[in-house]
Amino acid sequence: MSTGKDILIIDDDRDLVNSIRIVLESKDYNVRVAYNGKEGFGKIEEKTPDLIVLDVMMATDTEGFDLAFKLKNNPKYQGTPIVMITAFPKKMAEEGPDKFQHILGESWPVSHFLEKPIDPEELLSTVEDILREANRV
Amino acid sequence: MELGYELVKEQLFFRKELRERVYWFIQLRWIAVGVALLGSWAAFFFEPKLPIFPITIIILFILLYNIVFFFIWLRLKSFKPYEVRSFTIFAHTQITLDLIALYLVIYFSGGIYSPVLIFVIFHIILAGILLSPVSCFVYAILVLLASGGLIALQRSTILPLQPILFRTPLFPYSLEYPDILVLGLILTAAILISAFLITSVKLSLRTKGRELLKVSRELDASNAKLTALYEMVKEMGVCSDLQELMDSATRNAARIMGVKGCSIKLLDDQRKILKFASAYGLSEDYIAKGSIDVEKSPINRKIIQGSFYSIGKIDEKDYFQYPEDIRKEGIASMVCLPLRVEKMVLGVFCVYSEESDYFMDSDVEFFSLMADLTALAIENLKSELNKTWFLKKAAHQLRSPFNAIYSMLKTIRKGYLGPVNRKQEETMKRCEKRMQILGYLINDLLELEIKRTDIIKTIIHPVDSTKIMKALVSLYRTQAVEKGIDITFDIEDSLPEIMADEKLVDDLFTNLISNAIKYTPQGGRVRVALARISQDRVRFEVSDTGIGIPDEDIPRLFTEFFRAENAKALVEEGTGLGLVIVKEILDRLKGTISVKSKPGEGTCFACLLPSV
Repeated sequence: MSTGKDILIIDDDRDLVNSIRIVLESKDYNVRVAYNGKEGFGKIEEKTPDLIVLDVMMATDTEGFDLAFKLKNNPKYQGTPIVMITAFPKKMAEEGPDKFQHILGESWPVSHFLEKPIDPEELLSTVEDILREANRV
Repeated sequence: MELGYELVKEQLFFRKELRERVYWFIQLRWIAVGVALLGSWAAFFFEPKLPIFPITIIILFILLYNIVFFFIWLRLKSFKPYEVRSFTIFAHTQITLDLIALYLVIYFSGGIYSPVLIFVIFHIILAGILLSPVSCFVYAILVLLASGGLIALQRSTILPLQPILFRTPLFPYSLEYPDILVLGLILTAAILISAFLITSVKLSLRTKGRELLKVSRELDASNAKLTALYEMVKEMGVCSDLQELMDSATRNAARIMGVKGCSIKLLDDQRKILKFASAYGLSEDYIAKGSIDVEKSPINRKIIQGSFYSIGKIDEKDYFQYPEDIRKEGIASMVCLPLRVEKMVLGVFCVYSEESDYFMDSDVEFFSLMADLTALAIENLKSELNKTWFLKKAAHQLRSPFNAIYSMLKTIRKGYLGPVNRKQEETMKRCEKRMQILGYLINDLLELEIKRTDIIKTIIHPVDSTKIMKALVSLYRTQAVEKGIDITFDIEDSLPEIMADEKLVDDLFTNLISNAIKYTPQGGRVRVALARISQDRVRFEVSDTGIGIPDEDIPRLFTEFFRAENAKALVEEGTGLGLVIVKEILDRLKGTISVKSKPGEGTCFACLLPSV
């Protein structure tokens, strides 16, 4: 069912990337990885993925957001769903729109937040849901 | 203008005294009237020839005008102290009337040899106290003239000679020369000496009073400056941003010193260049030029080495790299001091005036105090920011490997890397549990530090506590329902606003309510109440039917990392930092908290919060 779907993981922590990759590959997703925002954007330009798993804090505190924002402003990648992984999903949801207004503008540029550490089942069900939704549209 | 105001203030100080003394004079007269009545009737008892009736009438006349004076004084009392003329006229009237009455008594009680004559001296003294030295001497001369006149009248036949009374061997009671000359000389000397003594005492008191006033004025001025400095330090203390702090320092320094402008220049990391970090009252052009190479500027080199510079006239001295710009800026004099903490110099603090020689030694001293406090505030904030930065960094650094390990662990346990047997899975579950606690600890440690800084920096203002509470109701209702706990909220409507901050109140409510839900088993009850209990207090109370807190643990509840044994047994995760934050919030809000608890029955936390 999920075979052939292309997922790009962008995170600077190789071990974390690896465990996410293992979980996703177990469901036959086609996984590519990048270890920073720039590399990630390069891989997106190479081939638009079906979904992006993106870390918030990399070299800078907002590197992930910067990339997400850049993608949302580009008509070519606007429709690509993003799952953001962060240590503070609750905090971001609470403080969110106000605190990140200056980076995010009106709305969140991401589809979903996932809390670190990653729970494999949650990751898989989130990814499946988003891709199913995208397929329907 | 300033001088005129000071003069008025000084005169007021002395005039207030006149006001009080005038009343005192009236009160003295009540006593004098009583004593005079008693005295004259006693004298009449020993000397029946004394014309007691005219004397009594005169004394009653004194009583009468004193009553009038009393009412006049009641009216004058409402006058402003600077309407001094009315009081002076009033004092003159009193002394004049008293002297007339006194001379009448003297005439009836034996003329110039009357023992009552001695009382005129008291009036000279009173005139000296109440009025100016000139008036005192004028009264002295009038008294002498009146005495001379009395002798002349007695010697002539115009006035009938009163009976000679109280004759003693010492007083021959003769109106003939030389006896009368001796009496005249003694009387003149006594009156003039009294006038001289009282006026000189008064003048010296006045000088002392003036000195006192000057000292108190200086004290007032330095007190005002210190108060302003205190406000400045307080303002700097709540700054959480370095630029904001320095801007507040320059703005306040210029205001307190009453000058055109002020600047802070900070040394760069190599300690070679001084750059404007904050400026108040200076033009953009001037600031743009302002980077100073310390090597090329002997004056700044010396300041950085620790000396201060006070330059009275910019024109006179050839100290500056850009004297033209300074003149163009309208700066005529300046003081520059090192900003230093102990021996470390951070930069240079300057104040600029448009007047030449504006700064006096005392100003430089005061500015130096200001510079030291500002340097301390800058250094303090820097180290605080560093600490918070370090903690954030450390927590993030800890969190990355933590998240990676935890995620990998889960991947293994859930079989993504191949089958796992039951024993392995059990052990990995335990690992995950411990990892989870480690995660909470890292989070809370960071939270605690950030919150502590936030709590201190918070600006207290009126806050609607009902609104904050109502926003939390649905969240905690859901949590309680999920856990099978009955929760009730008793929120009083139209509560007064409390002196707090929205975020702190939210943290306070959240911490205590979530604790109550956490430590109450299924089927239990939690009650949250918010009510006004007095004019200036609002009570926030959370009671539960949970596990309770053992008596011996209550005193340690608010210390870092403390968790009661029964709490640990029930809920494994938890760091023992929540109540520390609660206590710090209440300290900041000047509120209090009390705990009542019985193990196995429940706990009640009650907080009192000051309202507007």
